[in-house]
Amino acid sequence: MARFLARRLVLLAAVLLAVTFCGFAAMNLLGDPLVNVVGVLAELDCEAIAAGTAQDTAVDAAGSDCDTVAAAKAQYHLDRAVPTRYLLWLGDMLTGDFGTSFQNDQPVSAVLREKLPETLMLLVMAQIVSVGIAVPWGVIAAYRANRAFDRGSTVASFGLLAVPNFALGVVLLYLLALRWQIFPSAYESGDFASRVFSLVLPAFTLGLPLAAGYQRLLRTDLITTLQEDYVHMARAKGLPPMRIMFRHALRPSLFSVVTVFGVSTGTLIGGSLVVEQIFGIPGIGREIVTAVVRDDFPVVLAIVMVVAITFVVINFLVDLLYSWLDPRVRTR
Amino acid sequence: MKHADSTGTAADAGSSLTGADNADGAHNADNAGSASAGSPTGAGSADSGGNADGVLRRRLGTGFWLAVGWLMVMALMALFAPLLPLADPTQVAFGGPREAPSADAWFGTDALGRNVFSRTMHGARISLAVGGFAIVFGMVIGGGLGILAGYFRGLLDQAVRFAFFVLLSFPALVLAILITATLERSLLVVSLTIGILAVAPVGLLARACTLVFAEREFVAAARVMGARHGRIILRELLPNVVIPMGALTLLGMALAVVAEGSLAFLGLSVAGEDSISWGKMIVDGAGLRDLQNAAHVTMFPVSVMFVTVLALNFAGDRIRQRFDVKELAF
Repeated sequence: MARFLARRLVLLAAVLLAVTFCGFAAMNLLGDPLVNVVGVLAELDCEAIAAGTAQDTAVDAAGSDCDTVAAAKAQYHLDRAVPTRYLLWLGDMLTGDFGTSFQNDQPVSAVLREKLPETLMLLVMAQIVSVGIAVPWGVIAAYRANRAFDRGSTVASFGLLAVPNFALGVVLLYLLALRWQIFPSAYESGDFASRVFSLVLPAFTLGLPLAAGYQRLLRTDLITTLQEDYVHMARAKGLPPMRIMFRHALRPSLFSVVTVFGVSTGTLIGGSLVVEQIFGIPGIGREIVTAVVRDDFPVVLAIVMVVAITFVVINFLVDLLYSWLDPRVRTR
Repeated sequence: MKHADSTGTAADAGSSLTGADNADGAHNADNAGSASAGSPTGAGSADSGGNADGVLRRRLGTGFWLAVGWLMVMALMALFAPLLPLADPTQVAFGGPREAPSADAWFGTDALGRNVFSRTMHGARISLAVGGFAIVFGMVIGGGLGILAGYFRGLLDQAVRFAFFVLLSFPALVLAILITATLERSLLVVSLTIGILAVAPVGLLARACTLVFAEREFVAAARVMGARHGRIILRELLPNVVIPMGALTLLGMALAVVAEGSLAFLGLSVAGEDSISWGKMIVDGAGLRDLQNAAHVTMFPVSVMFVTVLALNFAGDRIRQRFDVKELAF
C-alpha cells in the first residue's frame, strides 16, 4: 500500500505541474499578455524611441508611456521567458498570491474568497440532490426490474441524460420561477436559508441529469448483487425485502457510483459555470465570464487553476477511496 | 472489444436495458459480435446481402430511423438554409419585437424583431458544423495518436498516455475556456477547441483497440510476410480500429453540440452578430425579461437542440450496441 501510495503521489505531482503549466502557457502564448496589461501601448517600439531612431513619430516620444510599459513588464515578469515566468507565478500562487485583478486592482485571492463559497454550496447541493434522487430511484427500478416502472425510468433517464444542462436550466427557470413563481427567479443574497432556497433550482438543474446517470449504474449493479447467494440466503431467512435491499445489497452495489463520482465532479464544475450564468448566482462561473469579457487574465487564470487543481485532487482521492474499497486495483 | 471500456463500470448498462431487442433471437447478437470482433471486411459480405439488411433493420428499430430522419432534415436545413425561401435571419424588425408565433414567423420574432424560425434553421449550420468538425478532428488526431501509442508501445505510449491524462485532468469546459478566452473566436477556433476535448477519450479508445488487435494472428502473419510498420498500421490495424471509433461518432457529435451551447452561455461561442448558433440563440432569449414576455424566443431553439441531441444520442447508442462497443466515459 505504501508503494502504491507513493506512486500515486508522484503521478499526482506530475499531473498538477503539467496542468498548471499547460494553463499558464495557454494564457501566455495564445494571446499577448502585454496587450492585456497596457492595451495599445504594447505596440510602442520603446527601444527605438530610447535610441532616437523611431520610425513612427506619431506615438508618444516623451517616454512616459514607455515607462508604463516597462513597469508593467517588470510587474508581471513579462521580460522573462515563459518557463521562468511560470516558476515565478507558481511560487506566488503556492504562497496564496494570485496576483491583482486588472479590473479593480483587487487581489485575486480576495475575489476567489468571495466567490468560491457560492459555487461550492451549489456543487454540494447538486450532489445531495442527485444522490438523494438516484438511490431510491435505482433501488425501486432494480427491485422491480423490467416491469413498467423500470422501463419508464429507463426512457426517462435516457431523456434526462440527453438534456443539455443549460436547456434544463432555462426550462426550469421559466416554469418554476417565472410561470408558477415557486422559486425566486434571481439570486437572493441574504441569510443562509434564503441563499439555499435560491440555489434549489440551480441544484436540480445540475443534479437531475447526474441522478439519471447514477441511477443507471446503481440499477445495473443492484440487479447483479441481488443474484448473489447471500441475498437468496437472506430472503430464505424471511427478511423483509427492503431490509435486504438497504442492509445487504445496497452497499456492495455502490462501487460504480463511487467510480464516476470523480468524473461527474468535472461535469458538475463545468455545468455550474453555465448554470450560474442562467440563475445569476455570484459564484466563480459568473466571475470568469466577466473576466473573459474584460480580458482580466489574472482572474481567469486563477479560476481555471483552482478548478483544475480541485478536479485533479478529487480524482486522486476517489482513486484512493476506490483502491481502499477494492484492493485488487492496487496491483494494477 | 472488452478493453474499449475505460471505466469498466457502465459496461452493460445499455445492453441490458433493451430487453426487447434481445428477444429478437440470439443468432442476431452472435452475428453482430463476430462482425465487430473479426475482420469487418469479411463478415459483412459473408451474409447474403438482403438478409444482412433485414437483420440490420430489425435490430436498429423504428426509433433509430426516426432519429436518423430528424438528423437528415437538420443536416439538409444546415446545408441549404441560404437557398431555401427563408426570411433573412439577420434582418432586424422582420416583425414587431417579441411577436408570438404566426403564419409569417412560425417561431415568432425575438427582441429585435428577427425571425426565430429562420434563425433556428440557419443556426443549425454552425451548431452542426462545430459538432461534425470537432469529432472529425478528435478522431484524426486522437485516433492517430492512440493507434501509434498502442502499436509501438514503450516510451511513445507512456508520453501519449500522460498527455491524454493531463487533457482529461481539466474539466472539459474549463479547458475550452482556457483556449477560447485568448483567441479570436472564429468558427474554426471554436470547432478546434471542442475537437481537442474529444482527442483524449477517442485516443484512449483507439489505443485500447490497437493493443487487442496487435496481438492477433493476422497482424503476426503480416509481420512474418515482411510488411512494414506503415502497412501493418494502415492496412491491418486501422480498418479494425475505425469501427469502434466510428460507432461512437454520433454520441461524440451530441456532446460537441452541447459543448458549443455551453460555450455560448459563457460568451465564448463563435463571435459576431452574423454567426447564428443554437447556443447563442438560447442565450439571447434566456434573459429574465425575454423569458417572462416571450418564452418562445428561447424555447424553440431549446426544443430543436434537445430533439437533435436526443436523436444523436439515440441513434448513436443503437449503433454502439450493434457494434458491441462498450460505453465510454467522455
